[in-house]
Amino acid sequence: MPHFTNKKLILLLVSVIFLVALISFSLRDRQNATLPEQIIKDTVGFAQGLVAKPTNYITGVFGNIESLLNTYEENQRLKSRLENFAMLQASVHDLEAENARLQELINKKESLRNYEPIHATVIARNPDQWEEKIILNKGEAHGVQRNMAVMTARGLIGKVVLVSKYTSEVELLYTNNANYRVSALVQGEKGDVYGLIEGFDAERGELILKRIDSNKTLKEGEKVVSSGLGGIFPKGLIIGEITEVSTDDHGLTKMAYVKPTADFSLIEEVVVAKRLVTAIDGLDGEGTDEDLTNGSTETEGEEQ
Amino acid sequence: MIRFLIPLVAIILFLLEPMFAKFSPIHINESTFYLVPRFLILYLIFISIYYNRKRAVIYGVIFGLLYDVFYIDIIGLYVVLYPLVCFLASWSFRFIHQHLIITIVLAVLLVAVMEFVLYGFFLLIDFTTMSVSAFFYSRLLSTIGANLLFLLMLGWAFKYLINARLLERERSIN
Repeated sequence: MPHFTNKKLILLLVSVIFLVALISFSLRDRQNATLPEQIIKDTVGFAQGLVAKPTNYITGVFGNIESLLNTYEENQRLKSRLENFAMLQASVHDLEAENARLQELINKKESLRNYEPIHATVIARNPDQWEEKIILNKGEAHGVQRNMAVMTARGLIGKVVLVSKYTSEVELLYTNNANYRVSALVQGEKGDVYGLIEGFDAERGELILKRIDSNKTLKEGEKVVSSGLGGIFPKGLIIGEITEVSTDDHGLTKMAYVKPTADFSLIEEVVVAKRLVTAIDGLDGEGTDEDLTNGSTETEGEEQ
Repeated sequence: MIRFLIPLVAIILFLLEPMFAKFSPIHINESTFYLVPRFLILYLIFISIYYNRKRAVIYGVIFGLLYDVFYIDIIGLYVVLYPLVCFLASWSFRFIHQHLIITIVLAVLLVAVMEFVLYGFFLLIDFTTMSVSAFFYSRLLSTIGANLLFLLMLGWAFKYLINARLLERERSIN
């Protein structure tokens, strides 16, 4: 190794201290990216978007070929489902009409379920897959905000964690981040059961639903959807299906393993859900201590 | 012309990495394998061995910073690791014969070492709870395999490009 003089040694020491400071600064739970970061993100995001288009096209072609090979098998399976589908559609239509009529009757205009979809393309996936992140080509300028729900056609996949002007970063549900929680509810036979999606079991490849009331009974195969009570997510986005129920470490509440319905590899097109009912800041234990009640009543007044 | 081709290839590899990362993780027989594309650092190792160590370290700092800011939001990780790996590569080649196959093996080994350092770091800050054996089987081996395949296909092209650049430089000096 090279010979160190005193001057070099001091320089090395200073740069190590600077480095540790820089890392600890960026590890803080930051609400926003700094200006130079935003500029870099937007520039690289632009270049990344240019590359993403042709590669997405190519992977799309391969995907088409693959699905063409499976056509026969899929056709058989779908045909058997089709008969049930017509019946289901009729009853859904019926229920929707009834729901609308009843809501009109009690003069209820807003619902936690309503959201405005923002369609976005995935331009990159964090290549060193330590944190599960994807980067979208829509940002602040398109109305994307921090903590919004992100989903594919098959279900919820994550939420927005960082926004710059023209890109946004999504942390997937597959994460070990302890601050990452999603308020969810299980559509049980005897009414809804509430809980929090908290953490991910890497060996099983399943999400963990915690803090469920121990008096409630859950069954395998029941559907888990977002509850909309977290403040920003709309209600009713499908997350997954329960595969196993057990009690948690302290035995006070129940926990359940949830198999996500969405496919997390090869995500290309996603929808960012912008909730129409006033979003409340301070989701997931990151309260900003702002007076939210005044702000929300004002905006509600504007909407009406 | 070739002068500009060298940074251009680096930029292209930088932008291609996340595209290939989209295919990962792959599931075979209930077990999950992560493939981490490390194309850029492999290319930078080649530059530092065959072309110019200083140039490789500068590229390492620039692309490391972009990587930190754009992908992982922890500034100060790749910005140090990339130049350090380039430095180690050229330093170790003072003692070893510069054959293409040896370079390929050494480059992949260095990437494995880098992967291990990263694992240690993320374990330290609680970003991962993966056990060492799980890391070894589901990440390290598959990553080594994928990157070795990449270099076996394109390693000769990197060397060819750098040699062409060296020839061009000699000609312009004469």
